[in-house]
Amino acid sequence: MKAEAQVLKGHLDTLLLASLENGPLHGYAVKEALRDGSGARFDLPTGTIYPALRRLEAAGLVTGTWAETGGRRRRAYQLTPAGRRRLAGDRAAWRDFASAVTAILEPAR
Amino acid sequence: MTSPLITRYMADLHRELPAAIADEVAGGLVETYEHHLATGAGDAEAARAALAEFGDLATVVGEFTRQSPGRRAARLLLATGPAAGACWGAALILSRAWTWPVPATARLGFGAALLVAAAFLVAAATSRHSYQRTRLAAAACPVLLVLDVTAVAAAMLAAPALTSALALAVAISLSRIAFTARTLPRLTAR
Repeated sequence: MKAEAQVLKGHLDTLLLASLENGPLHGYAVKEALRDGSGARFDLPTGTIYPALRRLEAAGLVTGTWAETGGRRRRAYQLTPAGRRRLAGDRAAWRDFASAVTAILEPAR
Repeated sequence: MTSPLITRYMADLHRELPAAIADEVAGGLVETYEHHLATGAGDAEAARAALAEFGDLATVVGEFTRQSPGRRAARLLLATGPAAGACWGAALILSRAWTWPVPATARLGFGAALLVAAAFLVAAATSRHSYQRTRLAAAACPVLLVLDVTAVAAAMLAAPALTSALALAVAISLSRIAFTARTLPRLTAR
């Protein structure tokens, strides 16, 4: 499990960017999107999502804005054009990597 | 009404982190807590589950600390410090700076201020669990600004000639002035 957490940490930025691809989300919704999208496999500590989102914001990949919904103030994040480009690049790189590993692990017979 | 466990955690967040960050994180914690309440958990049980799901305070504060703007700025200034110092040292020796008409008290004051600023930067750059400590970078930056401006002014006014070594040192100081002036508002705003 620990090894999986380390691997997940290495891909956290890409996963966060992907979770924001369809529109703005606040921190807790991002965590739920990751959990639901992975079939409950990626259940990160909620508290670690917020620093990661702020890091992406500092890197110019997402922007965060405060908004009031349902009587509650929340900071929603959305992808910037640079974030979309990064996500597209990461996605292409992941497909290449995954297909190469699959070719080795499951060679055609 | 929120559980005392949640209230205490939120108070700790506000003590450890800047208000804007603490507000956002506390909102997420309350949402996690309410999610567990909605599943039928009792008050204390929901609070314990929310805190377990959220992560301990030291981890959350540590993550914010390691990426704080103060820590990043301090690391960059410290990393470029030796190069700037070496350039100035070489330039001052080549320009025979000890012959410049600068009072000894001014020289001592400059050195003392530089040491204090460097100590603040080291404290901010090495902080791993205290966001508050990274704020020392905001105190060091104005001092560095004044020191760089003073060094450039002294070189322009007191040096008999602008050698290439001195010109390089001045250029480095001007770059640091630009970086510090650009970074300072971010350090004081959060």
